[in-house]
Amino acid sequence: MFEQDIINKFVTNVGESIQLMQPEVALLITFVLALVFDLIFKKTRSIAGYVAILGFIVTGFLLCTADSANAGGFAQMVAIDPFSNFFKLIILLASLIVVVMSLFSKELYTESRTLGEYYSLIAGMTLAMFLLSSSNNLIMMYLSIEMMSLSSYVLAGYTKEIKRASEASLKYVIYGAISSGIMIYGISLIFGLTGTLNLYEINSFLANADINLWALLVPTLMIIAGIGYKISIVPFHFWTPDVYEGAPVTITALLSVASKAAGFAMLIRFIKVGFVDSMFGGDFWAVLHLDWQHIIALLSVLTMTLGNLVALWQTNVKRLLAYSSIAHAGYMLMGLTVMNDAGVAAVLIYFFVYLFMNLGAFFFVLLIANKTGSEDIEDYQGLGYKAPAISVCMVIFLVSLTGLPPTAGFIGKLYIFTALLQNPDFIWLAVVGVINSVISLAFYVKVFRNMYLRKVDEAKETFKFSIPSIVLMFALAIPTLLFGIYFSPIVNWAEQSVGIFLR
Amino acid sequence: MEDLLFYLFAFVVIGSASVVVLSKNIMYSAFSLLFTFFGVAGLYVLLFADFVALTQIMVYIGGILVLIIFGVLLTTKITGVDIKSGTTGKVQLITASVVVVIIAISLILLFTNVEWVNQEFVQPNTTIDSIGFAFMTKYLLPFEIAAVLLLIALVGATLIARRK
Repeated sequence: MFEQDIINKFVTNVGESIQLMQPEVALLITFVLALVFDLIFKKTRSIAGYVAILGFIVTGFLLCTADSANAGGFAQMVAIDPFSNFFKLIILLASLIVVVMSLFSKELYTESRTLGEYYSLIAGMTLAMFLLSSSNNLIMMYLSIEMMSLSSYVLAGYTKEIKRASEASLKYVIYGAISSGIMIYGISLIFGLTGTLNLYEINSFLANADINLWALLVPTLMIIAGIGYKISIVPFHFWTPDVYEGAPVTITALLSVASKAAGFAMLIRFIKVGFVDSMFGGDFWAVLHLDWQHIIALLSVLTMTLGNLVALWQTNVKRLLAYSSIAHAGYMLMGLTVMNDAGVAAVLIYFFVYLFMNLGAFFFVLLIANKTGSEDIEDYQGLGYKAPAISVCMVIFLVSLTGLPPTAGFIGKLYIFTALLQNPDFIWLAVVGVINSVISLAFYVKVFRNMYLRKVDEAKETFKFSIPSIVLMFALAIPTLLFGIYFSPIVNWAEQSVGIFLR
Repeated sequence: MEDLLFYLFAFVVIGSASVVVLSKNIMYSAFSLLFTFFGVAGLYVLLFADFVALTQIMVYIGGILVLIIFGVLLTTKITGVDIKSGTTGKVQLITASVVVVIIAISLILLFTNVEWVNQEFVQPNTTIDSIGFAFMTKYLLPFEIAAVLLLIALVGATLIARRK
């Protein structure tokens, strides 16, 4: 019978797909086991955290040892390709570091708080981000974005007795609901326009059809709004400073690195698979219908300029880092503007570097908040002498975030600018980027000045930090320095990872 | 006949939805949401989407709306209080109106001018068969992922509801 054949075909397909998606399966098991172990071992508060760490390591092992597949799974719902693998490793590393960071957080480990859900929701969020970076179908993208958002809403308000955390969570939910509403409306319009949700089919429809430009622009801008919300592009960034300030530091770090990476993976795949004319091979992307280059360029200029300018006035370090992370999203969009493989490789390199420096900066904020209970920049005075070892690390992160040599941040920026300069039309954008980096120096130096140059004489006492926390700090600082000098493996890896699965 | 029903349902939806937005009493808003959901269910029926219409009634009216009304009733403080809607500044009001008008115009233009993809219309007896078939074959992964999403939502909800 006809239906029987289809079912048989899908059963084989499911078997093959599960083979491809072993890391995701491992994460799903981690999520459930973390919940169950938390129920069984009620006495050990961090048990779910240990389960999550173990699960992440297993996932990482599966991810690294998997054959370099380049295929679609589950009836082309997802694509397993080098591109998604790169992002998955970034996401996994970020989540792993955040879970380890959480073990040191005083803010989370107050007297009576249970933390089982905290760690299992991080595992669930990681699963969502994995799916997001390989989704090939608009419905799958929407589902995974919702799954990621739901867990981050709860995580942002995890310290719910603190007023600003609940406020952050509520703001996040309201903005998030609106943006995902806009996004799914855009998706429905795309479906009406092309008759399909699959990105490949959308692409082949767009390649052959004579389409009303306006009709394509409105829904795609709506989808960009939904994704832009996740990666906090101006003008969809309004939630970022409040949520970053209110959420626990660990979650702020997770949102600023991992969920941004997942959003970028989705944005790049949406453009590359959905809108790039597959008839033209090679490095240059011939984009169908819409002028994506100038849309992205405009968003990028807005994002980095606003992020950097507003950051100048911030006095709360978490808020300052929130604006800085908006600005960094702008830099990464610059890499996407050129619409070629070199640009995407630059974004990948930037993400790898950004992972270490940004998580490091947040870890410093966490350790200082543990001691002083404050994130205000005024309270950072004299820290260079009170906490010498970790302050040196913080200086490395700040220099790297500014993008100065010999740190990894410089390499990230260098590759983005190189990609831009190859295209004579976008030299102006590179100039804007450089000006922005100079502006960003001003507020990063502000942190530095408070740590080293003010109220130095009063700094008599020194803070003591536990050995593991200092080890983690150096584990983040050393790569930031090392990859600034010895960066060819990262560059090679990124250049090999630009391959997106195109049927 | 069908056209008449369509306009009837559309009128119910738009009318009650404007009450939801414009009413200053939150109880009125909650109750007129009932008619909005019901009207939308009617529109689904007109489109031969019987399963979606049923779910709409069961989930939205039977579940979510009842929850909303209970929520409003149990938090006694808000039933009597008017929602303040006159306090937003002029700047926000003007920008919001401009944005809304632009969006509305572009959407109306979109719906009237664009040639939408029309699939060949076959009047189905019931859609439940084909929906179930699609869930278990082509859309298996989204179907399963939706289950994980609900689990995450449940964990999050219990966490928020817990006292400590």
